[in-house]
Formats: sequence, structure tokens, C-alpha cells
Amino acid sequence: MTRYLFTRTLHAIFVLWGAFTLSFILLQVMPGDAVLVKFQDPELGLNPQQIADMRATYGADESAITQYIHVLGRTLHGNLGYSIETGLPVGHMLQAAYPTTLRLAIISFAGAIILSITFCTLALLLSEHVTGRYIASFISAIPGITSGIPVFWLEIVAIQLVSFHWKLIPVVGLSGWSAVFLPGLALAIPISAPLAQVFMTTAKRVQQLPFIDVLRARGLSPFRILCSHIIPNAFPPTLTVSGLVFGEILAGAVVTETVFGLDGLGQLAQQAVASQDVAVLQAIILISVAGFISIGLLSEFIQPLLDPRIGRNGQQRKY
Amino acid sequence: MYFQRHIFSAKLSIPLMLVWSTFCVSPALFCATPAHAEISVHHGGTLLYLEKQAHKSLYPPAGGFYPNGGILAQITDRLTWQNTQTLAIEPWLATSWQINADSTIYTFELRSGITFSDGTPVDAASIALNFDTYGKGSKALHLPPSEVINNYDHSEVVGPLTVRFYFSKPSPGFLQGTSVIGSGIVSPRTLHMPLEQWGEGHNIIGSGPFVVQDEVPGKSTTLQARHDYNWGPGELAPQGPAKLEQIRILVVPEDSIRIGAFLSGQADFIREVEAYDENQITRSGNLLYAPSTRGVNDSIVFRPDNDKVADVRVRLALLRATDRQEILHTLFSPRYPLARSILAGNTQGFQDHSSELYYSPTEAKYLLDKAGWLLASDGWRYKNGKILSLGIHVSAPHPQSRSMLVLLAQQWRKIGVKLNILTGSPAMVVLDDLDPQTTPLYQAEVGRADPDVLKSAYYPTNRNVLLQKGGQSQHVQHFTDPECNQLLLAVASETDPLRRLRYVADIQSLILKNSYSIPIFEEPQVYAGSTHVHDMRFEAVGRPVFYRAWLDTP
Repeated sequence: MTRYLFTRTLHAIFVLWGAFTLSFILLQVMPGDAVLVKFQDPELGLNPQQIADMRATYGADESAITQYIHVLGRTLHGNLGYSIETGLPVGHMLQAAYPTTLRLAIISFAGAIILSITFCTLALLLSEHVTGRYIASFISAIPGITSGIPVFWLEIVAIQLVSFHWKLIPVVGLSGWSAVFLPGLALAIPISAPLAQVFMTTAKRVQQLPFIDVLRARGLSPFRILCSHIIPNAFPPTLTVSGLVFGEILAGAVVTETVFGLDGLGQLAQQAVASQDVAVLQAIILISVAGFISIGLLSEFIQPLLDPRIGRNGQQRKY
Repeated sequence: MYFQRHIFSAKLSIPLMLVWSTFCVSPALFCATPAHAEISVHHGGTLLYLEKQAHKSLYPPAGGFYPNGGILAQITDRLTWQNTQTLAIEPWLATSWQINADSTIYTFELRSGITFSDGTPVDAASIALNFDTYGKGSKALHLPPSEVINNYDHSEVVGPLTVRFYFSKPSPGFLQGTSVIGSGIVSPRTLHMPLEQWGEGHNIIGSGPFVVQDEVPGKSTTLQARHDYNWGPGELAPQGPAKLEQIRILVVPEDSIRIGAFLSGQADFIREVEAYDENQITRSGNLLYAPSTRGVNDSIVFRPDNDKVADVRVRLALLRATDRQEILHTLFSPRYPLARSILAGNTQGFQDHSSELYYSPTEAKYLLDKAGWLLASDGWRYKNGKILSLGIHVSAPHPQSRSMLVLLAQQWRKIGVKLNILTGSPAMVVLDDLDPQTTPLYQAEVGRADPDVLKSAYYPTNRNVLLQKGGQSQHVQHFTDPECNQLLLAVASETDPLRRLRYVADIQSLILKNSYSIPIFEEPQVYAGSTHVHDMRFEAVGRPVFYRAWLDTP
């Protein structure tokens, strides 16, 4: 067990370093840098000598390798550096931004799970009936459609209807959980799609297994079979997909936070890309990668608890 | 038959008349409330202001960027105030001033009893430190010098409330320069911070009617009124603290959300309403404000270092091929006046050149033929095998820049000239715009009410919109216009006001004679305010001033 944990941790550190280095290279390849974006602004009207001085004070005129060693060393000491664009310490910016994204992620993920389970339960129950079958096939097609809807469009429609037309909830000037409620629900819709698709496919496969026929022959109600036999058996693959959905939430957060004007990591990332603010971008990349790794690990640890056939090494045990 | 028709029309006319009368009466009823019942000035309350972009730095010389200026105009005062009607310079923190004959020594007498929001006094020493920083910049603190202060040498504290500034060469624009947002006065402690720390509003200690109380970087800023404020400029009399208790500035970048939130009553005031949204605002009974930013008009300028536009005939042809009326009718509203020169009509020294800015595609074709750019069978013009295709970047800060360029490309297409509209990451835009080979064209606009703005825009070591030799760009090979530069320097240092205005007129003629610029429109900054917001003011270049504003609902 300790050995397993050790190798997993080593693996995680390697992935983190890789992401860090790769992002640094990519940002170096892009033309120009943040110092240029900020100081070569014609609005400031600086002369070439003043700009050269600014570049020197920021170390932007050093070679890429010197900069890399400097940035890596600083990061290993836990110092994420300063944003060139705003001049704020990156650590503070992240601290201010992460609660919004975390709340957004929680609401959209919970919403997505509830949505996908509701859809699938409805579809499976209805498919038992002769007439309900058509409705069931219609319901099973919905996740495919929602996964194709652009998040920003859905969100703008949601705001226009819920906030501007029905005036149920304001869209500006909110804070805490109320600020992420509507955006979280809107983001939950596209995120629920892959969950529902995987869940539905697995559930249908389980439904055709012989033991279900046995249960049916013994007179169990379709609802009971669904709740205590099909859903528990169909859940583990859905859990694995949830880990991947995390990426979709992060990507969705960039769009959602921009549309709703939320002050989360996504918004921060979007601004950092626009101004090529390397320190901020690298910190966000590190956090996202760390998030991915820990969610992957977490679902690996939970899987054996839900499904005894899966061993701790992630391999199927033979019976 | 006739009789029947008559009955029919009478039957119809009764409901019609009813409808008609309701229409006639109801607006009168609605209007009656605000017009007859005089609402008394209400103190207190929080005004919610939706911004399009987050502020970047509150270093006053960076106040040209609207979100920066929008905050600085509330939290800092200046030595002088430029009257928004007459453009005369009036006292503010300074009660009087003397200028020597050749505009190299300025002496200001300060008002007594003024304090920064941390309680320290505004005295001669603190004012001197402000202008030492803005005039020369500080390398150690990364603070760049201000573009509005020319030829600055040093300051001298003459007495506790008397400060004197010395210039190495005449600097007639300095007095107006003390009135702009870029010369906002901050406490000496603030001036000892490196540029990196000027992004956080609570670090900026000014003497203005509001102070930054709370902020979430990139998202929101809350300004709190100072109850002991008693030194506003004369035009904004009477003296006293601001009427609003708080201003909450929220960044809402998405246009549809900002306007939707405003229309559904979730916000009191918003910045940046595009021309196509103006009708929605006025139809809903809200108010539009479109203060002019004055200065250099929104224009397309040429970089003659690029051979394709080195010939004045080509540049003039492109001016003739530009249907500016069509651009304004199609994309903009009457709030965007047609440019009549390179300067806006309400800028000092403006000369009407509209007779030279006419549209004539026939003349354009003739000029291009003369210049050797001949129409080929594919519909484009070529010379020595090279196609007449010109690149320009979309300029994000300007209203509907992309749409305007697309329309321009269609107009130029008719005479066989290709306009390439470029996009790229912000750093790429900056790099491309420094290279006349990639961008022989550039969209330029600079807001300021003083003729010094011409130097800010055109002089090589300033914004250098024409990309002359001697500026930031390493790509410029040969282009320089010594006559133009001499005039620009003369404007910045001529002390005789009449002669200075003559130089301003000369520069306008010179730039248009050489067709360096195609002026399109005078750029306003368009805001919308709800009917609950009263007494909203704007300073000389269109930044909002909330000092007098009040809300009739708490």
C-alpha cells in the first residue's frame, strides 16, 4: 500500500513538472510577452530606452533558460510570483478567485449528477412500457443534444429569461453561493450529458444481464430492480467519467465566469491569456493539473469500495 | 353606398379615437410626474455602475484607459479644473498661479486645509513630489513619465503652500496638463510604491471626494464618500461632500449582460453602449450620455515607411475611396459626429477641413492609375507584380472597430484595393503595429482637450501613429517628416497662444495635405444612466464625475 502511494505520488509530481515545463515552453513560443503588452502600449508613450529599462527590471531580456530556472526555483519555494498585468502577488489572486470556481464546480457537478440520474431513471422506467418506449427513446436522445449546445449560448438564454425577463434572480451584484446558482445550473446541463450517456449505456447493458431476468421472474417490481440492482451496478463507470468531467467544468468555468462576470479561476485564466501573464497562467495550469490528478486518485480509491471485483491496483480480480 | 361607407368609417373611428386619445394622454401623464413635482436632492445611497473592463493600474498617468480614469476621477483631485464648456483652466487644489513669459516657470498657490484620505495634508512638498514623478518617471519604481508633461526639469517648494515647477524648454501645455486625470494628486506615501502595487485601489491615497473602500481585483471596486470633503472645483459648486454614499463599480465584460442588467433595473449606470444598443436604452425611458473625448479623431492613419503607401497619390486615393457618411449611417448614431479635421470640433485650435474630405471613387481610381497601380483582370490593382493589399489590426478599444473595417474593406474593394483585417493575441497586435510592412494602416484616436494632443499622437517618441524613424519601432527604415515634427515641437513649446494656435492649424493642414490620415468620426464615450440618477457630470474628455450625482431612490 505504501509502495503504491509512493509511486502514485512520484507519478503525480512528474506530471506536474511536465505540465509546468510544457506550459512554459508554449508561452515562450508565443510572440511577445506580458512586459511588452503592458509597456509598449502607445497610451503610455514610452521611448525605446525606457522600454528597454522596463524589460531589464522585469528580467524579460534574459534568456529563456535563465528565466525557466528562475521561475522553477521560485515556484519550488512556494512563491508563485507577481502578475505583471495587475502587479498583485499571484498567490493572493488565486486565493481570491478559487472559492467562486469551487462553488461553481460543486453546484454544476451536483446538478449534473441529479439531472443525469433523473433522466436515466425516467428513460429506463418508461422503456419497460410498450407506449412509454417512444418517450424513453426521446429522453435518451436528450443528452446527445445537450452535449452539443454551446455553453455560452445556453447561459445567455438563461440570463435573458430567468434574470431579465422573469426577473427571478439578479445577475449582477451577487456574492457567495447566490452568485453561482444560475451559472452553476446552466453549466450543469452540458456537463450532465456525458454522465447520462455513460450511465444510460451501462444501465442498459446491466438490464440485459441474465440475473435481471431472474429477478423479474421472481416478481420484483421494475422500480425495485432499477433502484437496488441496475443503478448500483451501473454506477462505477459513471464515477470514472466524473473524473474526466472535471476538465469540462474547468473549461466551462472560463466561459461561464466570463459570461456571468464572476471572479473565479476561469476569468483569471482568460485575462492572463489575453495579457500573456505567464506567472498567473502557470499557477492556474499547476492548480488545474493538481486538481485533475487528485480527482483521478480519489476515484481510483473509491472504485474498489463500490465494486469489490476491482482490486486496489485498479485491475479486475479473478473469481 | 356612400352613406354606408360613412357609417362604417364612423364605427371604426370611435375605437380609433379612444386609442388615439389614450396615446395622447398617457405620455403627458407619465411626463407630468418628473416635470411638475420637483424632486428634492437626496443624499446617500449606493450607485451601481457596470464597467466593461477591469481597471489595470491606478497610476494617474495611466488614466487614459477608461476603467482606470473612471476610478481616478473620483478618488483624486487635480491642481486645476478644465471647464467643460469654455475649456478655460479654473482653480481647484491650486487657488492661483503665475507663469513666466516663456512658460518655463510655473508657480502655484495651494488652497489650505486640504487633506489626503489618510489625514496627511496636501502641501507644496507633496505636490512637488507628484510632478517630479509624473514629469520624469521613476526607474527604481518602474513608474513611467506622463505623456502630458513636456520638458519637465525640477520642482521647488517655495513655501508651505507655494510650489514652483521649472522646465528645460517652454512648456505651454503644462497648465492644461495639470487639469487632466493623468495629473491626479496622490499622497507622498503612494508615490513611493513600485508600479506593481498601483493595481490595488486601496493603496492609492488621494484627496478626492471618494476613497476606495473595498475591491475584488478584476471584478469590483467599492468607493466610499469622504464626509469631510469640501474642496470641489468651482464648476461643480456648491462645495461639500459627495451626495452618494457609495459607488459600486462592477466589471461586466459581456455587452448583452451589461445592457440587459441595466434595462431590467439591476444597475443605475453603465459604460460603453454601442450605437446599435442606443435605441433600446432611449426606448425604455433611460438616459444616454455621450460626452465627447475631444482630441485626435478616430482615424485611419498611414505608415508611409511601407512602399505601398509611400506615394501621396495612393493615400489621397484611399481617402477619396472612403465613404465616411456611409460608415456613420450604417454603423453609428448621430452621437458620433463626422470628422471635419484630424482634431475634434470642440478641441482648441480646430480648423474645418471638411471641404477636402469628400468622397469620390472616380477621383480615387484616377489617382491610383496615375500612381501606377493598375486594375488587373481579377479585380485588384497591381504594380510591378505586387498587389495593392494593406493590413490593419482591429482596434479593440474603439467602438465597432471590426465592423467599421469590414465596411471600409467593402468600399475599397470597389476601386480594387484589398484591406486585410488582421487579428492576433494582444502581444502580436503590439508587435505588428510597430512594423509598417505588416500594418501600413493603423486606427488611431487620442482624447485630450489641449492641442498638445497632436504631439502625443504624432511625435516619434510619443505614440508615433505614423511610425516615423526615431520611435519605439526597430522596423522603420527611412520615413520621417521633419517639417511635421518641428511643428509638433513648436505646439508643445510655443508660449504665445495665438501663434501656438496657428501652428495647430498648420499641422492639421500639413497632415491632410499629405493625406497621412483619414479622419472618420469624433469619438464620444457613450454611457447610459437610469432616470433615478441625477446631476451626472463628465470631465473635459468624457470620464464620469460622480461627485455631484445623486439617486432619487435610496
